[in-house]
Amino acid sequence: MNRSIIGQLVLKDWRLNRVLISLTLAIGLVALLVTQFGGLARLIGIVWFFVALCILGSMLPGSVILNERKKQTLAFIMSLPVTSVQYSIAKMLSIWGLFLVPWLTLLISALVLIETRHVVPQGAVPMVLILAMLPLIGFCLISSTTLVGESEGWLVAASIVVNSSYWLGWFLLARIPSLSANWNRPAAVWNSTEIIVLCSELGAIAFIVAVTLFLQSRKRDFI
Amino acid sequence: MTDLAIQLSGVSKKYRYFTLDKIDLELPRGQIMGLIGANGAGKSTTIRILMGLVHQDSGEARVLGHRMPAEQVAAKWDIGFASEDMRLYDSMTLAWHMNFIRSIYSGWDAAHAQLLLKRFGLRADQTIKGLSHGQRVKSALLLVLARKPKLLVLDEPTTGLDPVARHEILRELTDVMADEGRSILFSSHNTQDVEQISDRITFIDRGRIIDSMDKEAYLDRWRRLRLEVPSGIDLPALPGIIGVQQRGRLAVATANAFVPDLANAYERTGARVQHIEHMTLEEIFVANVEHSREEVKA
Amino acid sequence: MLYSFTLSQTDKRPMYLQIMEQIKQRIAVGDWVEGQPIPSIRQLAVDLQVSVITVKRAYYELEREGIIVTHHGKGSRVSATTGLRARLREQELQQHLERATRIAAELGMSPEELEDRLQEAGNQPAKKKGELV
Repeated sequence: MNRSIIGQLVLKDWRLNRVLISLTLAIGLVALLVTQFGGLARLIGIVWFFVALCILGSMLPGSVILNERKKQTLAFIMSLPVTSVQYSIAKMLSIWGLFLVPWLTLLISALVLIETRHVVPQGAVPMVLILAMLPLIGFCLISSTTLVGESEGWLVAASIVVNSSYWLGWFLLARIPSLSANWNRPAAVWNSTEIIVLCSELGAIAFIVAVTLFLQSRKRDFI
Repeated sequence: MTDLAIQLSGVSKKYRYFTLDKIDLELPRGQIMGLIGANGAGKSTTIRILMGLVHQDSGEARVLGHRMPAEQVAAKWDIGFASEDMRLYDSMTLAWHMNFIRSIYSGWDAAHAQLLLKRFGLRADQTIKGLSHGQRVKSALLLVLARKPKLLVLDEPTTGLDPVARHEILRELTDVMADEGRSILFSSHNTQDVEQISDRITFIDRGRIIDSMDKEAYLDRWRRLRLEVPSGIDLPALPGIIGVQQRGRLAVATANAFVPDLANAYERTGARVQHIEHMTLEEIFVANVEHSREEVKA
Repeated sequence: MLYSFTLSQTDKRPMYLQIMEQIKQRIAVGDWVEGQPIPSIRQLAVDLQVSVITVKRAYYELEREGIIVTHHGKGSRVSATTGLRARLREQELQQHLERATRIAAELGMSPEELEDRLQEAGNQPAKKKGELV
């Protein structure tokens, strides 16, 4: 019965953030367009897209999560038959939904390009996937911190830390020999290291979500 | 088994600058309770605890038979909540809010909602942003009233409203009374509203319940006695009198446990009782708070 | 049917007393006749927009005075005793007289002076007095 309330809350968030949704869709589509052009434009397009993704990732928690408190609508929502955990789940689902749209667009278009236009050798696919997971983990961290921390201060701090650490992630990943080794292969090969790394990334997300829900359930002064 | 809509026993909550101290409160089903207190007295905290929005540090809270906050979801299906610091979504219309609530609760009475729109003078297609304060309050109330919940919990439902809007809201609240299965708890510092429609009154001050009882019995305990005191006569301290103010030959004694014999007791000392008056709830409120604060100091 | 009494918030007397008085007046002027059913406590409370407990108290006191009768499960009605109207009017008169006496005392009038004034008032033309019972 309460699953439908979570659904209603998610739909409500999407409805309220229609502008943001349109924006993210636009970003996704533009990215697709830009990558059609070759050479430098393609590179610029991808970098620009990535930056936009980071910015969006920092904006979304503010709009979707913090606004409930700022605009004082939280009491209205919590007077509905939901627990703080269910509320948190709904928030995470709605904010992830909003983020996944551009993210998937980027990923899919990248994969399509690799497949059809051979922008990079297909051996790079595992690496592309692994790298693409980083903004997802980063976003998860930022939005969860905001949800638990309940303030702009936390959002800003998390954004700064996460967004400035991507290079570190790439750097470290690139240093793993069995990952970069396959980059130039013509076909995608999944070796155990790649699988382990990918699973760890998914595991990291699951861990962040679990900790978030745990912390949310422990809050005694929800409003 | 007593049929209590709300039961708080020994509920305490400690904040840095404020403590709610062992709150005991009972609201039988089918009744209206008015919660009165000065700003910062603990009304909102008490209400949040019984809504499960805040967890108490100790003590038990039961609402409609459900333990709070553990069973808050079960309870909230049957509770309609509106508070003065609560807002609706600015960019959405009232109609959107109505549909939102309707999609969650099965008890939504669309006909009643339309009636309320008319009575409150609201237009469903207006965005919340464009509404005046009074209209927003009425909108929030419409959303809870149209669901016909078993329990209404309202934090300052008439605060800041013009007399007409207040009257409209009181009318709706008393209409709820027609169903003896429904109960209302509302907090207010508008003593007139509380005096008019409450069956029970609870006074809260500085985190403590000062009084909680049947309204008529409560009002009946309080009197103002206007006395003429000839010079040379000292008024004795009598049980049931919480304060005497004397200027020259005229004195006013405030009784919080009035019995007719009190007047006789004064007359026996040589003072003359000019007049015995009932007190309005506002006068009682002020006298009560001042008295209890003196007691705490002592 | 809406029972519209006008309850004054500035009237210092408790609301239940006001309700009692207005019910008595209705009976006294003949709007409500002996034996007639009167609204249930809850119904009157809703119509007057006052708490149930206030109306309950009013009805309780009225029953004690023998003005209304409540049968369990059947609601309340005006007492069927004959002469109720007259009795209520008498009560009203008594209240007025007591009040007049009190005010006269405050003004320092003697009982004889009060009597004279009463005679004077009695000699006023009838049209000034409004309805006669």
